[in-house]
Amino acid sequence: MVCACLTAPPRACRVAVYRVYRVTPAACGSGVAEAVRDGTSGSQADGELNGMDFAWSDQQRELLDAVGRFASQQLNYNVIENDRDSVFNHDAWKKCGSFGIQGLPVPAEYGGLGMDPLTTVAALERLGYACKDNGLLFSINAHLWTAVTPLVYNGSEAQKKKYLPGLCNGTIIGGNAMSEPNSGSDAFSLTTTAVKKGSRYIINGSKIFVTNGPIADLLVVFATVDKTRGPDGISAFLVEKDSPGMNVARKLEKMGVRTSPMAEVFFENCEVPEENLLGNEGGGAFLFTRSMTWERGCILASAVGSMQRLLETCIRYANERKQGGQSIGKYQLVASKIVDMKVRVESSRHMLYHYGWLSGHRKAVYLEAAMTKLHIADCWVKCCEDAIQIHGGYGYMTEYEVERELRDAVGSKLYSGTSEIQRNIIASMLGL
Amino acid sequence: MKILVSFKSVPDPNDVTIAGAAVSTPKSVINPFDEIAIEEALRIRERGEATEIVGVTIGAPAVDEQIRAALAMGVDCAIRIDDSRALDPYAVARILSAVVQKEAPHVVIMGKQAVDDDSNQVGQMLAGLLGWPQATFVSKIEFLDNKTRARCTRETDAGLEVVEVNLPAIITTDLRLNEPRYVSLPGLIKARRKPIEALTCDQLGVTVRPLTTVLSIARPPKRAAGTRVESVEELITKLKQEAKVL
Amino acid sequence: MAESLILIEHDRQQVKRPSLHAIALARQLGGEYALLLLGHGLEGIAASLVSYGASAVVVADDPALAEPLADRYAKVVAEAVRKGGAKTILGTSSTFSKDVLPRAAALLDAPMVTDVVAIEEMDGSISYRRPINAGSMFATVKVEGDRRILTVRATAFEPPAANAVPCPIKRFDFDAASLPNGIQFISREERRSDRPDLTEARVVVSGGRPLKDKETFERLVGGLADALGGAIGATRAAVDAGMAPNDYQIGQTGKIVAPELYIALGISGAIQHLAGIKDSRVIVAINKDPDAPIFQMATYALVGDLYEIVPQLIESIRRA
Repeated sequence: MVCACLTAPPRACRVAVYRVYRVTPAACGSGVAEAVRDGTSGSQADGELNGMDFAWSDQQRELLDAVGRFASQQLNYNVIENDRDSVFNHDAWKKCGSFGIQGLPVPAEYGGLGMDPLTTVAALERLGYACKDNGLLFSINAHLWTAVTPLVYNGSEAQKKKYLPGLCNGTIIGGNAMSEPNSGSDAFSLTTTAVKKGSRYIINGSKIFVTNGPIADLLVVFATVDKTRGPDGISAFLVEKDSPGMNVARKLEKMGVRTSPMAEVFFENCEVPEENLLGNEGGGAFLFTRSMTWERGCILASAVGSMQRLLETCIRYANERKQGGQSIGKYQLVASKIVDMKVRVESSRHMLYHYGWLSGHRKAVYLEAAMTKLHIADCWVKCCEDAIQIHGGYGYMTEYEVERELRDAVGSKLYSGTSEIQRNIIASMLGL
Repeated sequence: MKILVSFKSVPDPNDVTIAGAAVSTPKSVINPFDEIAIEEALRIRERGEATEIVGVTIGAPAVDEQIRAALAMGVDCAIRIDDSRALDPYAVARILSAVVQKEAPHVVIMGKQAVDDDSNQVGQMLAGLLGWPQATFVSKIEFLDNKTRARCTRETDAGLEVVEVNLPAIITTDLRLNEPRYVSLPGLIKARRKPIEALTCDQLGVTVRPLTTVLSIARPPKRAAGTRVESVEELITKLKQEAKVL
Repeated sequence: MAESLILIEHDRQQVKRPSLHAIALARQLGGEYALLLLGHGLEGIAASLVSYGASAVVVADDPALAEPLADRYAKVVAEAVRKGGAKTILGTSSTFSKDVLPRAAALLDAPMVTDVVAIEEMDGSISYRRPINAGSMFATVKVEGDRRILTVRATAFEPPAANAVPCPIKRFDFDAASLPNGIQFISREERRSDRPDLTEARVVVSGGRPLKDKETFERLVGGLADALGGAIGATRAAVDAGMAPNDYQIGQTGKIVAPELYIALGISGAIQHLAGIKDSRVIVAINKDPDAPIFQMATYALVGDLYEIVPQLIESIRRA
């Protein structure tokens, strides 16, 4: 149901109807044409939520504005050079930590901000809008979903107290080590082993694609205590940097999100104290699945923000760039691409917020998480391709920072479960 | 030691651009010099030399947004004098004088001037009304003798000057005193629980009438852009022959 | 009984010439004006002020006033005003007058208008024009009350000629023992320069952040200033970075200058800086960035690397 009134609709219109589209008060009146033209109407730029049946509270609005201001003022420097040289911005990471990003969804008693899932994804979306360094955000996401979340849900009191405060303020950088050279999508076929010896576990194996590997202080490492039990043998361990027998090897060069460091990590009789078992022996697969649901739903929240930023950039460019005596936005083939971008941004946003809302209201969002991830990744890559096309030759130049977006986006169809895996999940949830 | 920090809500002197998109509605912010004052108060407390920081501002309820920003930075509580009239510096000083009598701080720190009005009068007037020592345009503050005195470095037209003032005193801040911290999310959330007291001038026991009236505001004629020169030779030739200034 | 009283600033050796510009406004306002001097050992300075058309040079000379402590000076100014009956107290905008006059205004229960650039008279009432918002706008204001304090922006008023019939020098007596003791002077930087005063120089050469460090700043900005016989200025960024001392800073909260020739080296043109140079007759901007905002205001714009251009410029000027 679409409500296209140009004045703020009466209260009755805002009653809970799933997917009511409402023109925002700020966009009403004389500002509406402008707000629609530059792509900001219905977006978070004026703090209004366009697409669900509620608006942000004053507190949420204040928080989102603070996130946007922080990111735009403090995180956007040296991005081109850092991307070229694969350099992680430690300073920006620390600023995010002091600001509170790394602890958004963690309960306050452990040093976090205790934000509900919807507010969390909205904050990450705003971060993606205001911060151009997708690699920094990728590292933050990896930290949040692969280290912080498992600790929150499966950590013992002692483990939570020991690690969460530092993880929340960014002084401890987290990540996980799951994939191996021979097990990616087929994650549970991993062969890294963990053998109990006295009061320690001895871990042997090699892990690949460890995001934050080169900088992590704490990794959640998945290993099997009993290969014969298959997935039921998998266990998770909290392994601190420089543990004896742990070797973070060469940094891996990536196509995109290059400012996020990644490495292979080898475990050769790596000793881990028994109190660092996360959850139960054999509980690793369940832990992984649960945190992966969070990850799938949330990891592309910032991508929605990036898409919004790209959309606005394209609209501006299409209006300013003139060819053949008129602005290129007047040509239908260009306008059409921008329209598609707009629709993708909006649909991505709605799926994201829906996931966030559901996640805060019920436990099982496995299906929604997969759909959200599948859809946003697809939209993001397409938006980036369109953005390059709209910018023509300039879109190909690193200086214009458009081509980098595509390189950053391509990985989204691969990490946290490839798009093919997401489809498999959705298919099975549909009973096929 | 109790510090009273006075701040003003002013239109944002910098246009805010977020990742390239211009934000259309004009925003209000804490006057940059007052932000420096707040930051200094926070640092003084972090050094263990102050125990309480109270903020005060004058304005309509809309300025609560700036008050919350100050609380989010770390100010403990705030007073808003509910008055939405156009006040002049002397009226502001008289109102603040009543607040100082009420709060009895050991030191009052505020920005040297508001970047919208640029008068640079309030701190000095307040000091005159209270009969307190003043240190203006300060770029460094140190407390001495068990916090009975403050040694202040001042930025003057002739360079730096050092004075010492007996407390209680009024200190106005200059640019290089410090670089204010950014508001953090934890600060923002803590700020929600900090009290904001709204008082009218009547409740404060003070009646003021501004003696200055603004009759009109106008933009000066824009200075026209000149010409591009391509070389040092061309520049010198033009300066000699055209502008006749060399 | 003089209607206006002008607070004159000195550096213990001679009058600070910009403080004389307030006399021009006093003349515009009409009526008699007296010059007020505070300090210690002021005979020579007082004598240098007798030909500016004042009705008298009023001198408060006492060891207690040897340093310009705001609480003491404001009290003496207020007393001099009350005893002398002046209705308008003037000064030229400076850190000295900004420190003292507002406090005196409060003691006199009078409003104060800062940085007056012009006055208008309509139906017998006077309004004052002054810059606001870093000089991007001008407000015209009027004030009520028996007395008022005004500071003038030096660049908006001409310095007076010292060609009037000499006036008497009058001693102002006050009770030094009753002066407050809340502020103690400790020290000040003493930097003497052969270069002209920044606010009075005919030529000002200014540098910004790209000048890297103090030595480079002195070499290039100082070198060009010396070749032209000018003064040196700096942006806030350059002062923040330690390349130049604070008293070189030009802008909204620094010094306002209006020289015949202002040369900006490596200065992008932040609004706060432009506020301090808008009334310069000729502005030359040299900057690597063709989109620098300062180019919108520069009389002559030279886009290029200042490290190549400035040495050439110095050389060409020296040869000419």
